[in-house]
Amino acid sequence: MGRTQTKSPSTGISSPVGVKSLLVFTVLLLAWMAGFLSRLFAVIRFESIIHEFDPWFNYRATAHMVKNGFYNFLNWFDERAWYPLGRIVGGTVYPGLMLTSGSIHYILNLLNIPVHIRDICVFLAPIFSGLTAIATYFLTKEIWSAGAGLFAACFIAVVPGYISRSVAGSYDNEGIAIFALMFTYFLWVKSVKTGSIFWAAMASLSYFYMVSAWGGYVYIINLIPLHIFALLLMGRFSHRIYTAYTTFYILGLICSMQIPFVGFQPIRTSEHMAAAGVFALLNAVAILKYLQSVMSQAEFRHFFIVAACTAAGVVFLAVVGLTWMGVVAPWSGRFYSLWDTGYAKIHIPIIASVSEHQPTTWFSFFFDLHILVATFPVGLWYCIKNVNDERVFIVLFAVSAVYFAGVMVRLMLTLTPVVCVLGGIAFSQLFEVYLKEEEPSRPNGGDSSDDDDDGEKNSRYDKAGKLRKMKHEQQATNDGLGVIRSMVIVAVLMILMMFSVHCTWVTSNAYSSPSIVLASYSQDGSRQILDDFREAYYWLSQNTADDARVMSWWDYGYQIAGMANRTTLVDNNTWNNSHIALVGKAMSSNETAAYSIMTALDVDYVLVIFGGVIGYSGDDINKFLWMVRIAEGEHPKEIRESDYFTDRGEFRVDSEGSTTLLNCLMYKLSYYRFGELKLDFRTPPGFDRTRNTVIGNKDFKLTYLEEAYTTEHWLVRIYRVKKPDEFNRPRIPVSQRKVKRRNVYLTKKTSKKRRGAIKNRPVVVKGQRPKAKPT
Amino acid sequence: MHCHLYIVVVGVLVASVSGTFDNINRDIVNKKIERKLDVSTQLVKANTKITLENSGSGAVRSFLLVLTKEEQDNLAFINAQIGGTNLKLTESKVQEYRDLVFYKVELKDALQPSKTVNVEVEMVFTHLLEPYPAMIQQGEKQLVRYKGNHYVLSPYTTTTQTTTVSLSSPNIETYSRLKPSAHTDTSVTYGPYEGVQGFSVDPMSIHYENNAPFLTVSRLERVVEVSHWGNIAVEETIDVLHTGAKLKGSFSRYDFQREHNSYSSIKSFKTVMPASAKDVYYRDEIGNISTSHMRVLDDAVELDLRPRFPLFGGWKTHYKIGYNVPSYEYLYNAGDEYILKMRILDHVFDDVTVDELLLKIILPEGVRNVVIETPYPVEQLPDSLHFTYLDTVGRPVITVTKKNLVESHIQDFTLHYQFPSVIMLQEPLLVVVAFFILFITVILYVRLDLTLSKDDATEAKMRVSSHCELVHTHHDKRARCYEKLEEELQKLKGSKDVAQSQTSTKKLQNSIRDETQIINDLASKIRLDNSEYADRVLELQKMDKILRECVTQQLVNVEKLVAGKMSKQQYMDTDGPLHKKKEEALEKIKNLLGNI
Repeated sequence: MGRTQTKSPSTGISSPVGVKSLLVFTVLLLAWMAGFLSRLFAVIRFESIIHEFDPWFNYRATAHMVKNGFYNFLNWFDERAWYPLGRIVGGTVYPGLMLTSGSIHYILNLLNIPVHIRDICVFLAPIFSGLTAIATYFLTKEIWSAGAGLFAACFIAVVPGYISRSVAGSYDNEGIAIFALMFTYFLWVKSVKTGSIFWAAMASLSYFYMVSAWGGYVYIINLIPLHIFALLLMGRFSHRIYTAYTTFYILGLICSMQIPFVGFQPIRTSEHMAAAGVFALLNAVAILKYLQSVMSQAEFRHFFIVAACTAAGVVFLAVVGLTWMGVVAPWSGRFYSLWDTGYAKIHIPIIASVSEHQPTTWFSFFFDLHILVATFPVGLWYCIKNVNDERVFIVLFAVSAVYFAGVMVRLMLTLTPVVCVLGGIAFSQLFEVYLKEEEPSRPNGGDSSDDDDDGEKNSRYDKAGKLRKMKHEQQATNDGLGVIRSMVIVAVLMILMMFSVHCTWVTSNAYSSPSIVLASYSQDGSRQILDDFREAYYWLSQNTADDARVMSWWDYGYQIAGMANRTTLVDNNTWNNSHIALVGKAMSSNETAAYSIMTALDVDYVLVIFGGVIGYSGDDINKFLWMVRIAEGEHPKEIRESDYFTDRGEFRVDSEGSTTLLNCLMYKLSYYRFGELKLDFRTPPGFDRTRNTVIGNKDFKLTYLEEAYTTEHWLVRIYRVKKPDEFNRPRIPVSQRKVKRRNVYLTKKTSKKRRGAIKNRPVVVKGQRPKAKPT
Repeated sequence: MHCHLYIVVVGVLVASVSGTFDNINRDIVNKKIERKLDVSTQLVKANTKITLENSGSGAVRSFLLVLTKEEQDNLAFINAQIGGTNLKLTESKVQEYRDLVFYKVELKDALQPSKTVNVEVEMVFTHLLEPYPAMIQQGEKQLVRYKGNHYVLSPYTTTTQTTTVSLSSPNIETYSRLKPSAHTDTSVTYGPYEGVQGFSVDPMSIHYENNAPFLTVSRLERVVEVSHWGNIAVEETIDVLHTGAKLKGSFSRYDFQREHNSYSSIKSFKTVMPASAKDVYYRDEIGNISTSHMRVLDDAVELDLRPRFPLFGGWKTHYKIGYNVPSYEYLYNAGDEYILKMRILDHVFDDVTVDELLLKIILPEGVRNVVIETPYPVEQLPDSLHFTYLDTVGRPVITVTKKNLVESHIQDFTLHYQFPSVIMLQEPLLVVVAFFILFITVILYVRLDLTLSKDDATEAKMRVSSHCELVHTHHDKRARCYEKLEEELQKLKGSKDVAQSQTSTKKLQNSIRDETQIINDLASKIRLDNSEYADRVLELQKMDKILRECVTQQLVNVEKLVAGKMSKQQYMDTDGPLHKKKEEALEKIKNLLGNI
């Protein structure tokens, strides 16, 4: 009996590599599936549809590309946006997202799998979340160990900070860009470790994909030079990093310039200059190192001082000179707002008006990252403690991402992956310490294969401190602290369990409610869907002229273009501030002034969002001050923000509100005939549920516009702009009329009393033509 | 049953072959005509009962029906029957009346002289009612005008005739009067008129309130996808247009919600689907239309469809509706011969008018000899191919189209085709092959070494591990031999047959020696790559040697015992320490094996 038992461990040990890779494969597959499935809440609760505002443009562009081919997409001039300017879509878009889903669609269609492009777009982000998990695994594996990698992969698959941008139906650049980011970083770390041109070239290809997908590529092209710079400062120059960076930079530069939207920016804007500077510096250092090996000590010192001073002076003068001459563009406003958080508020209200550009609160850090926010400093500490070339990178990544995430809520997204990596390291380290068996017979711990791994680590890593610490830890555990150990393990497992519960809860409650369909739950738990947005957009698409121009605030531009397929004046691609300001001015002027703007812009319909009936807080009245501010930025003489406040500086729509506000176009369009509406028995007519007040200006008529459509819950109101001949027709005295009435006599008899006439039929008098009825 | 399908024939240019003109038979007299005009919906339904009399001397085999050009353009359906049996109708022309359209009705039995026969003619016209005024405001009622003929248009003299027009409401603005005429509640009666000559015309006009839904399906695309795995998927893409009086001025949601006076607007309509319909969906390009209710009745599934917005005059909408039905209800087969019987047009809403219908039938791959039979003429478009999951050559698509349809057109088509049942296996096999190729590729990829440069360290490692594996297998063999030896020992104790035992033990001992030799060779091979592991193997061999010695000693002892050369007590004394030694050796071997 005893002999047969020896068989089972023998097969297990015979192929440890196989078991290990099977385990890794299974864990990654499960992480992928967990990530994919937890992003489907919105699809299961509602339907497979693009949910948010921005993705509608991406979807529309993708559909256009699938329909017309890639080259037509690159040359696409969209005359339905930014009327009358139009938009060169091919040159102003990051095409990576559309290309990705377009090629998936193409391949599936080749295999006769007729999946609608919409479904591909909806499920693209969840699928890529799995790829992100795998990329994170590889990155963490390179930086620390495979175990930490598995932890990191599992974390990133479900962490809310990333889910917020990649749920099914949010078809946005970030969905694939985070994968590209992590994969580029993995390849970069790999190339730094190996110093091989192959990995560096792969890194630049991955960087190319990132450039094609998201404007956040600038983060990569600044972080990698920063890494090199830090390594140089730490005196860690080596031929490995020299090969890696020079290959990466040159190939990456050439590749990135192939994207039409990026074009010559990598050599002409300040955002990219750091990379060029580091490239020059690295080469200078390499030359110096070479000279150092040739020259004697004294010669070299003298030469070094002279060369360094001249080089620094030349580079500095060159950058300043080029910027001054206008060859290199200075930093754009969006980047200034990253350094100076108050900058946008003063100079570019349109950036400040977006809620996701607001500084992050502590609450949202915890909300998005949960326990990882506490463990990631631990991982960071481990990395700093056992520093080597690639760990310098992750440290820089962490520090910079934390800063950016603090500046803007939106950049929480770049922080999340590094938090997962470092959190994974922390947990893996913790388990390594507390989960190891006490085996006095084997001082090194672990079986033979582990020994090999450790041996490799020791030779590869610069500092062998890890091993020493391990011994120390093991001595501590030898003191019979078994109870403490199991308590720690149980506690950590509990924390991890709570983490996953929290992630699911956040995903389900905060990030899976589509903004396009509103759901309200009544007290008995039954769900009522408010589908007003689609009602209005579909009405527009079906019952207005194909070339009708719809004016609305820019938030709804992409949706109108995507769902209603109608021309818009401004949309979410806020590239032309003055055009937006013009729309803002029209909204904040009185009807007459607005009419002249609207006729100048050929507006046929005006669309406003009004939440007063159902208490929807994100409506246009609540956004109105931003419109005023943006309009004031361009037209300070006509529009003044102070006019819209009461004397006491309050913004209110009730009878105490300022007259300018109560008579501006936005107010009138929102509240037209609302003054007559009685919502329920407790409130007076004209009670606005969003602002909890009775509106101030109730009884007014519209002269230049007429109500064209209002959705069921009044959420979207569409007005038609009347043509000049439809209103205010001046009364011309009878004497001056060119067309005279032939018959001024009107019978006093009503039509019914007329003898012998059938209802409404003109009296026929013999011998005369029937007279035309006077009009 | 089959010939029945061909009898009802409606206005496609069947008989309009130029040169053939019909003559008006002067012998025929309409003895009595009773016409009922139903204009209470958006359709004009004319139901005419004609009593024909043959006043001549010869038998009459056919008679003619007349329509004006305008009526012909709007005619959706025409049918003539005698006592429940349908008569054959063909379109024809008459030389003298080029601007009129005639239908030749063939009587089943020739009408003998001075005999009479009752014929019932049913006609349905679409778009004949004109909204007047053409534009109304939101709260106004919809008025329409019907223009027709006070007399029933007929090529023959009519002895007496009456016309009853039924309206949707008692509110009549005006109506033309040709005495005798009367207006009661919701109907207007004209006649009886005596002795009306053939082709008599007297314009009739009724202007009345009609708030019935004026809803036209401007285009309906019906796709039927047949699967032999037991499912038929039906999807209808429908364009709906409100063809009533257009909305003038603004639409006020406030008035719409408060006053409920939008008489002519349409908020919802009912669609009836087959009783077995399941997985019903109702959506458009921008997603699911959440405002619909489904009710499952005994004989149908009723879907209460609410478009995203109420439809006013001139407003249109577009939607898709789809469902699955089990194929056993519609698909019949005998061997490889199949027959599909489904509706050409299904119910959309009551009193529907469909301007254009496109029916596509997608059949499974490998279908041959497709023949379609329809109860009324339709235009068949060229066949095409459709590709979907696991298709290789594409599925044949049969496409037919027809213009101007009404509810009377809801009839079955019959599609005959052949399908060899072997082809059913194609798709599963395709999946099997695909997976097979996938696994083979993975297996090959894992096993093939694609590196260009040699990596000595890993290769040595792999060699060592493969040798170690061999050591394990050989050791296992050896261990089994030991076990057998042990068994022999026990057997010997029982049987006391020394000679036989010796032969078998010899054999076992020999094989143990062989295995040991092999392991020794392996150890020397391992030493080339990794001395540590080789040492462990040698250690194992050492232990094995001890073990073998013990076992041999035991064997000798037992033989002695059996032969009586050793007393029981003596045996017990020597065997005890031997056994202990053996156990120790085994334990050590176990540990060693764990480390190799």
